[in-house]
Amino acid sequence: MLDVRGVVAGYEGGDVVHDINFHVDAGEAVMIIGSNGAGKTTLFRALIGLLPMSSGTVMFEGADITGTPAHLVTRLGISFVPAERRLFPNMSVHENLSLGAYPSRPDPETMSLVMDLFPRLAERRRQRAGTMSGGEQQMLAVGRALMGQPRLLVLDEPTTGLAPKLAAEAYEALGLLCDQGLTVLLAEQQVPLAMALCDRGYVLESGVVRTEGTSAELAENPEVQRAYLGVA
Amino acid sequence: MTERLSNAFGTSSIGGTEARASRSLISLIVPVLAIGAALSLLPLRLGDSRVLMGVAIIGVTFGCYAIAFNIIFGSTGQLFLCVGALAGIGGYGGAILGDTVGMPIIVSIALATIIASLTGGLLSWIAVRRSLGVIFTGIITLIFSLSFENFLLGLGNLTGGESGFLIESGASSFVRRQIPPYYLMLVLLVVFLFVHGLLRRSHIGWAFRALRDDEVAAELAGIDVSRYRVYAGLVGAAMLGMAGATYAFTEGRISPTSFGFAQVDVVVLVMLALGGIGTLYGPILGALVFSVVDEVLIDLGQLRVLVYGVVLIVLFLWIPRGVIPTLRSAIARVQNGEQESDPIGNAAAGDP
Amino acid sequence: MTANILDGIVLGLQFGLLAAGLTLVYGLGGVLNLAYGQMAVVSAIVILFSMNAGLPALPAVLAGLVVGGLAGLLLDGTILRPVYRLHGEARVLLSLLLTLGVAFIVDGFFNWRYPSAGLSLRIGGGPIRILGVPMRAGSLMASAITIVALAALFWFLRSTTLGRAVRSVIEDEEGARLVGIDPHVILRLILTLTGILAALVAVTRSMVAPVTVTAGFGLTVFALIVTVVGGLGSVTGALLAGVILGVVSTIAASEIGTFLSLIILLAAAAITILIRPSGLLGVRG
Repeated sequence: MLDVRGVVAGYEGGDVVHDINFHVDAGEAVMIIGSNGAGKTTLFRALIGLLPMSSGTVMFEGADITGTPAHLVTRLGISFVPAERRLFPNMSVHENLSLGAYPSRPDPETMSLVMDLFPRLAERRRQRAGTMSGGEQQMLAVGRALMGQPRLLVLDEPTTGLAPKLAAEAYEALGLLCDQGLTVLLAEQQVPLAMALCDRGYVLESGVVRTEGTSAELAENPEVQRAYLGVA
Repeated sequence: MTERLSNAFGTSSIGGTEARASRSLISLIVPVLAIGAALSLLPLRLGDSRVLMGVAIIGVTFGCYAIAFNIIFGSTGQLFLCVGALAGIGGYGGAILGDTVGMPIIVSIALATIIASLTGGLLSWIAVRRSLGVIFTGIITLIFSLSFENFLLGLGNLTGGESGFLIESGASSFVRRQIPPYYLMLVLLVVFLFVHGLLRRSHIGWAFRALRDDEVAAELAGIDVSRYRVYAGLVGAAMLGMAGATYAFTEGRISPTSFGFAQVDVVVLVMLALGGIGTLYGPILGALVFSVVDEVLIDLGQLRVLVYGVVLIVLFLWIPRGVIPTLRSAIARVQNGEQESDPIGNAAAGDP
Repeated sequence: MTANILDGIVLGLQFGLLAAGLTLVYGLGGVLNLAYGQMAVVSAIVILFSMNAGLPALPAVLAGLVVGGLAGLLLDGTILRPVYRLHGEARVLLSLLLTLGVAFIVDGFFNWRYPSAGLSLRIGGGPIRILGVPMRAGSLMASAITIVALAALFWFLRSTTLGRAVRSVIEDEEGARLVGIDPHVILRLILTLTGILAALVAVTRSMVAPVTVTAGFGLTVFALIVTVVGGLGSVTGALLAGVILGVVSTIAASEIGTFLSLIILLAAAAITILIRPSGLLGVRG
């Protein structure tokens, strides 16, 4: 579904990620793991069109979307939830969700799906997004992304700033979505949670893909164990 | 073009030049004196024409204003849109002290300079304390400008209101004649140029450059950004006050429009856009070009304003750092293309 | 006193409408449009010339509104292109300088060519008594139009998908892009809208007092003051600040003197910046 080759991207100071290759097949859940500064966010932002790529190609469902600006990528069926969430603080939960469907009107079925997935959002429909807690904001961010009826959901460190219990809940919700067939690509520092959800993963270090494999393979990998699973 | 723009606007100030200050005093004294000498020859050509000498005097005065603004904005990124008002504090302050209070001219000028300087320092201090960004500093100083104009109009008893202030002090002295005022303002110009040059070469100038390039880094390096901003405000405003006061006494008559935002600040902006914000000699070039162009176009009347609008747009789109830095970059590029030598050595030689 | 308050409200509504355009553009795109007053002047002149050429009032006014909108569109398509490539403070600075240049161009041209032109729309009918105070028909008409326009603007922003999209860009531009909104398109739309609003201000203002070719910068300064006090990016704030400042300055002008009322307005803006830079209801700092 998503095929990424040779991506080089960075900022004015220099390139952060070099020659990244990976792919995501329909129905899969894939993780990109790595520590801070490894380049996960840069990579995602480049894929999604928020950051220009120096080189490389991105193919989505057979079409070349390299260099497509973010607002168009979204309309092609990829929804992105950035680490900072980027909600609309003075607008209500309902308004935030409705905008997720832009330019269409919000689909009532999708809306009720999101409400079922995150009951707390249903309770707070009219509340201003900026006044919600971190966990609720994360749910709202994911909910808004879902309103666009994406075929691929991309999340950058979805557990940022979440207490362990909420992080687990978030992954539960993601699990449900995966079961229903949603393709998920996520970047994560909290590796155990991601491993439980995802089928495959890539390890990003200093801007290059060091290792790849199924979750099981990565779990066995001693370097991965040492660096990310807290195993001495 | 985008790269040039983001270089020019990359930090919180326009036209930040990176010129490394050469340490030699000679490389400052010689050009400054040369400029002074060249400009002092002007009355030989124009001395007979009262009108043209008037234009020249105003040109030099605005050159002084531009140097002051350069120190405040070019060096520390504070967008003071109250150049006219600060000069007006000097002008009206000096006039009131001289005529109404009866002090000798020199004392009046000195006191007016101090008042203007303190006002400038105060504005800087407020901007710093309230962490006002460039825009809000601009808006606040614009408000100050407009309020000052209004006060001048409203306090008619003190200031003569709309019709202006007729200054009697020095009315019969050499100060009011056709040519001496020119030399008076020229002396100020040379002195200001020299002071600016010295500042740039001092540790203060180094601090200015650091804080303009990257404020956060400067703070981390131990530079008290607030203090240097206030210094710049004090010095720049002092220059404005002195120039304004001296000009007032030579002119003999000042009105709110002598120091208005539209009449002074806008012109200074255009001059610096031409010459180069943040450079040492930019103001001179800008004042020169502007005075000539303005006089040549005098017959166009209000249409000149249209021309200045076009100039402003063209300049900030294509030559955002001003003529001097752009020329210098071009020269440096040619030089570096021709020679292998160390870019720092060569580029600095052309300073500033 | 009642007369002053009512006059103040009339003036305040004008201020609100005036500031609405400026604050939307700033909140949306971080662009400070200093040519705003001139956009109103251009529309006024177009209406004047249309009427002089024989066109009845209503079509002339519509022509003026269209021209206003086109002016906004033109500004977006030309001068502001390079501005959009920058971000943050650099963007505001460049937009400030370039629109200042445009303002000069317009001002210089009109003052040179038609120095004494001014638009005055006379609304017939004698004074109408409101709360015992005789109000000129022109003032009432101007206020009515302003209220309708502002109400329409609010409805648009709150209840339509496009309006919500506009608000979302003001709240978080990147977030808006992530849901499929193109900020540039929205900005273009709002700039066109802003031009129409400026034209409307010219129309309503001319019902109360003549709008001359020299009015440009004064209008921009007032708009700026009200925008700052109301909060950059908030139309509600602009309206609130407008009415408050309108009433305060009218009372001050009548009790103390005109020049002081301007100083009060300026001081209000200064105080707002110093004490609460986000203004009454501001979104963007």
